Amino acid sequence: MKLYEKTASELSEMLRNKECSAVEICNDVIERIHETEDKVGAYVTVCEESAKENAAAVDKALANGENLHPLAGIPIGIKDNISTKGIKTTCSSRMLENYVPPFNATVMEKVNNAKMTVLGKMNMDEFAMGSSTETSYMHLTRNPHNTECVPGGSSGGSAAAIASGEAVLTLGSDTGGSIRQPAALCGAVGMKPTYGSVSRYGLVAFASSLDQIGPLGKSVKDVAMLQSVICGHDRRDATSKFMEYPDYAAALESNLKGLKIGVPKEYFGEGIDAEVKDSVMKAIKEMESNGAEIKEISLPSTQYAINTYYIIASAEASSNLARFDGVKYGYRAKDYDGLVDMYEKTRSEGFGDEVKRRIMLGTFVLSSGYFDAYYKKAKRVQNRISAEFTDAFKECDIIATPTVPSSAFKIGENIGDPVKMYYNDVCTVTVNIAGLPAISLPCGKDSKNMPMGLQLIGSKFSEQQLLNAAFGYEQICGGFDVLSKSL
Amino acid sequence: MKIDIKHIAKLSRLKIEDDKLEKFEKDMETIVNMVDNMPDVDGPLTLLDEENPMTLREDKAVADKFKREELLANAPEVQAGCLVVPKTVE
Repeated sequence: MKLYEKTASELSEMLRNKECSAVEICNDVIERIHETEDKVGAYVTVCEESAKENAAAVDKALANGENLHPLAGIPIGIKDNISTKGIKTTCSSRMLENYVPPFNATVMEKVNNAKMTVLGKMNMDEFAMGSSTETSYMHLTRNPHNTECVPGGSSGGSAAAIASGEAVLTLGSDTGGSIRQPAALCGAVGMKPTYGSVSRYGLVAFASSLDQIGPLGKSVKDVAMLQSVICGHDRRDATSKFMEYPDYAAALESNLKGLKIGVPKEYFGEGIDAEVKDSVMKAIKEMESNGAEIKEISLPSTQYAINTYYIIASAEASSNLARFDGVKYGYRAKDYDGLVDMYEKTRSEGFGDEVKRRIMLGTFVLSSGYFDAYYKKAKRVQNRISAEFTDAFKECDIIATPTVPSSAFKIGENIGDPVKMYYNDVCTVTVNIAGLPAISLPCGKDSKNMPMGLQLIGSKFSEQQLLNAAFGYEQICGGFDVLSKSL
Repeated sequence: MKIDIKHIAKLSRLKIEDDKLEKFEKDMETIVNMVDNMPDVDGPLTLLDEENPMTLREDKAVADKFKREELLANAPEVQAGCLVVPKTVE
């Protein structure tokens, strides 16, 4: 077995037992990138040199008997909307094609403090707006399980790299499903943490009240380990929660006995592929036969979730993306006539069509005469959706649903139809609307041999319980088979 | 609903090329029709999480220090340590 095929926790142990070095791990994953990257296209930027330097420093520190973080020397890829000092952070947009942040996001300070080996920056939908990574200005990313299919999005590069072995761990961001949906389509594990548990400082803002950074990996333990690195209070993010954060990986426990799993009927209705329904129900039944209690629940406002999400997210995006005006950083149009013309040309040339659509939708729902009918209504429905979850968690510990209505679709299949693309997020957006944590786990492959995803949702700041439930399911499956066999 | 795409684009400081106007208009109408289906719900407007209130910073300058050159390195046009913009006052 090659080193890139192993999980982070396995590699961490091997490093401590001197069965391999950090440089060997780093070189093996870089070799894998050279082997497969032209077929997958997961990266926007690869930082070979600095990765090797870090690995060498970790080996030296270990040889000196220094007490390093368990993830020291483990290769990680970073979604390209997370600010990395001295490394381009493009958001896969022409607008930021040459932007090099002068500072690190808080999560990057934490990743660097843990001495993880940063391999580079992962491709994504432009400004995280999309569900297939096809809106990237850079290039396409392909699903490692079938390169004719999309990897999902917007963290498509982060998920694809896990399935191709081009990274051992990755960071993504999730505003409406952007970690969980690509994790499901690529057969990886991906978690969207509770809003407020991971600092958003240095994450290029899309919809600030919904955005959250989170981990992707090959196993629940790996995701738990990375979550422990990135979580925590940060004074630079006013929405960051001050509390004691547990060591999730250390406390991981697979006991499902007595766990009450709520199954909301609204997530198994029209539009959900029969094969997905079957495999998710099968997973739930397996958890039941291992001691969990199943309870049918109802979350009636789910039918309004997509609408609510696109109104709120686009409204916030239209405001957040106003900063891209060609003045202080980023792209500026070449020829213009005066200030307003510079703004308009810069933004029209710098943004792709999907970003323009969302900015215009957001502008529309906030504009005079429409604000009450759209934005205010959506905020009230958001409260309702949130309250329904709170009520549901009085009856159950976690909620189980599909992550995505179907397995990965073909490249080009949905890109011409924005509404069809938006419905890919139908099972994931509610979690962001209510600020909850949720994890996507692989739950088998469909008749096209493509992965499908099981989503487990927890109440706020219940990551430990959520990860334990996920770990319990992983044990039933005998581990997840994440890596693509067809590359 | 009919969307005046040129007006919305202007409010968004965007310019839509003529050959793309029709497609954008059609897409926007479909999207607005999609989000249009919303119930009238009573209750508070803001989503305040009483258990997890936001903490405000002290009104003090942040300690992070940057060099001027570092911050200007990403600027499209710089002259004498300043950002260059078109004339803003006629």
